[in-house]
Amino acid sequence: MATSKVEGSSSLRHAFGGVLSVFILLLIGVVAFSIRLFSVIKYESVIHEFDPYFNYRVTQFLSKNGIYDFWNWFDDRTWYPLGRVIGGTVYPGLTLTAGTMWKLANSLNIPLSVETVCVFTAPIFSAFAAWATYLLTKEVKGPGAGITAAAILAMVPSYISRSVAGSYDNEAVAIFALIFTFYLYIKTLNTGSLFYATLNSLAYFYMVCSWGGYTFIINLIPMHVLLCIVTGRYSSRLYIAYAPLVVLGTLLAALVPVVGFNAVMTSEHFGSFLVFIIIHVVALVYYIKGILTPRLFKVATTLVLTVGIAVCAVVVAILVALVASSPTKGWSGRSLSLLDPTYASKYIPIIASVSEHQPPTWPSYFMDINVLAFLVPAGIVACFLPLSDASSFAVLYLVTSVYFSGVMVRLMLVLAPAACIMSGIALSEAFGVLTRSMKFHITKYFECSHTEAPAKLGESTSTESSAPLENMTKSDTTEKPEVARKEKVARRKQKKEKELTENAHVKPVSAKKEKRPLVLPLEASIVSVFLLIVLGGLYVLHCVWAAAEAYSAPSIVLTSHSHDGLHVFDDFREAYAWLRHNTEVDDKVASWWDYGYQTTAMANRTVIVDNNTWNNTHIATVGTAMSSPEKAAWEIFNSLDVKYVLVVFGGLVGYPSDDINKFLWMVRIGGGVFPHIKEADYLKDGQYRVDAQATHTMLNCLMYKLSYYRFVETDGKGFDRVRRYEIGKKHFKLTHFEEVFTTHHWMVRIYKLKPQKNRIRGKSRKSKLGSKSTSSKSGGMTHKNPWN
Amino acid sequence: MAKGTNDAQLLIQSLRKAYASTPTSLKIIDLYVVYAVATALIQVAYMAMVGSFPFNSFLSGVLSCVGTAVLAVCLRIQVNKDNKEFKDLPPERAFADFVLCNLVLHLVIMNFLG
Repeated sequence: MATSKVEGSSSLRHAFGGVLSVFILLLIGVVAFSIRLFSVIKYESVIHEFDPYFNYRVTQFLSKNGIYDFWNWFDDRTWYPLGRVIGGTVYPGLTLTAGTMWKLANSLNIPLSVETVCVFTAPIFSAFAAWATYLLTKEVKGPGAGITAAAILAMVPSYISRSVAGSYDNEAVAIFALIFTFYLYIKTLNTGSLFYATLNSLAYFYMVCSWGGYTFIINLIPMHVLLCIVTGRYSSRLYIAYAPLVVLGTLLAALVPVVGFNAVMTSEHFGSFLVFIIIHVVALVYYIKGILTPRLFKVATTLVLTVGIAVCAVVVAILVALVASSPTKGWSGRSLSLLDPTYASKYIPIIASVSEHQPPTWPSYFMDINVLAFLVPAGIVACFLPLSDASSFAVLYLVTSVYFSGVMVRLMLVLAPAACIMSGIALSEAFGVLTRSMKFHITKYFECSHTEAPAKLGESTSTESSAPLENMTKSDTTEKPEVARKEKVARRKQKKEKELTENAHVKPVSAKKEKRPLVLPLEASIVSVFLLIVLGGLYVLHCVWAAAEAYSAPSIVLTSHSHDGLHVFDDFREAYAWLRHNTEVDDKVASWWDYGYQTTAMANRTVIVDNNTWNNTHIATVGTAMSSPEKAAWEIFNSLDVKYVLVVFGGLVGYPSDDINKFLWMVRIGGGVFPHIKEADYLKDGQYRVDAQATHTMLNCLMYKLSYYRFVETDGKGFDRVRRYEIGKKHFKLTHFEEVFTTHHWMVRIYKLKPQKNRIRGKSRKSKLGSKSTSSKSGGMTHKNPWN
Repeated sequence: MAKGTNDAQLLIQSLRKAYASTPTSLKIIDLYVVYAVATALIQVAYMAMVGSFPFNSFLSGVLSCVGTAVLAVCLRIQVNKDNKEFKDLPPERAFADFVLCNLVLHLVIMNFLG
């Protein structure tokens, strides 16, 4: 009667809670989608940055030509004259996802263009990622923590920065795949079901397709398995969760062309194989322990150990010899730079030059994860009370991602879901304790005015008091309620108060782990709840500000506010459109590798180097050309069939990421391959400058000349607004190049290679008779006649 | 030494006795696992003799053997009545999961076999 009524009301409450959860999750998805739309509202629906343009071009190709041509695509419009095998070097997950969505939408007669689908892929998948975070945190702690974590992830600025509408990059779908794979792993670990293990492998396959950061998963999960084994938490569920994943996962990873045989041959995967062997050994040991008596088991262990150690030593020796024979110990350059942060700057300047690969500064933590930075330690504590397999995984995930985010600022993105999970757990536990205190005090009020009912009903229906946040307050709180109660109930019946204090005394003694009435005073609870809500409000405020102001810039269109309104700098698209309409289809354009993707995607011209940076020598060639004097540069560009050279110059408007600021990297990379380029030649007293005190080499190199040609005509003095001084060499003429286009704000400048003279006056005539003029007369490729 | 060999013999005998008491269904699964691992070893020996080209065929062959062995072990874990964690898992469900996972595995193998 009473129990069924309680059951009935609790099931109704559960049903109501379920519906409310679904509604809240839907709202979270809507928030995640809408907060990323600032760039579309403030600017336009355009693809951002550099890498997304490549993905966009690949998606265009896929939508036009179908999947078989996509797999076999050899791109000859980039890395001229080498070309690039797109099918084998791109992570296909993102483009296939967007292509599928486009195809689906069009088959339903919703006429979305490829660009629209590409721009909005990231917000849609961020909503999915928020839901995946809910599922993952629900497995770790419970549905309350799940909803909190999902709400936090929907808005965390670090994730927003890589997934705004228009940021069509791998991370847009990869973070969703990461969280979903972890969710399925934890679900398999909790349930021991082979079905979820299969799904886990398929989700891991999707992750491998999407991002090079999949190596994080295939190293984190073995680490966690090892942790469980070492801390004595081995169970058969662990075996079911891990072993099929390794086999199926390695096979599926080898299916993706860009990974291929690296799935079994590179050191990034060896960890998983090692733990695979270890878990089999442990499983065997447990099995034999189960069927033998303890004495015989000891005999067995001694026997096995003597034989096993000998075998192990041999195997390890072979492995070490194999691994040590390769100079990088089998790791790829990027992974090695994660383990040894100084590796890249010593050996691979290209990896070191990317600004995303630099270590983050302290303020960037507060910018990117804000309030979570100090909720995370509370979450770690909450995970330990009680410690389960899933919560140990969450702690391990957090610790490793904190380390990696400290090495490379780009990997703050991997920290974001971990921080959100921890903060969700912390906030949920905090709310649990506080509302429990409030409920306890309020029900106590009502009881004191009614007949005596066991006041502990309030606690018994609340969630298991498994995680009191602060252990040290436990001793205090058993006194505080008494004190508070004494003060408040002093006017009420004395008998009631004595009974309650007795109960409160009895309860902690009798109940060991559960049902400890850990309560805080009512005022403290109310104030704390209010403060936590204010904290959440401040977090939301910061996230919306960060999304609107800091992370929504498409960086292909720039704006600035001045006293006479909004200025829009659309120079990049202006230059690419000029190239598209005023040059031949087969003309080659040389620029620094930053602009390669944009040039092929928007201007549709062949480029020499682009953002893929897979060939260091080719980039060094371009860098050398930019650092050489005009004639030598012309020779280099001519040998590459280049027709046009593109430089980005910010001196007129104060755009700081122009080629002059990047020039030292060109020198370093070029000097790494061609030793006649020395960085010291371009520095005066160790300082990089382009004013009157600059070195002769600097003032005569191609980059300087192409950037500052006719610059003095703008204001008569040649004052560079980025470097903030007047330039050194002001009046000069170009002998081997001619200027063909400069954009409105002088941000992009395009030059054409001058054809060689037909007749050369003077004594060098005889030696020049051997070379022919290479001017193109009717478009198309022209070749040097080798017989002349 | 004599004690050592005596102990080893005693060990093997007790292992055999303990193993004989496992139910037949589990013994069949164990036999299947042994067969799969043996096939894998044969393939590795063949590769050592003949060379590893084409590598993807070798990889898919060995990994399919190892994969079915692992999945069979998982099935054995789930079907074993001594295992308290899987007390309320019906063996039909365990077998259905096993079949599904094997299906996915062999689909991938056929794709990768070349």
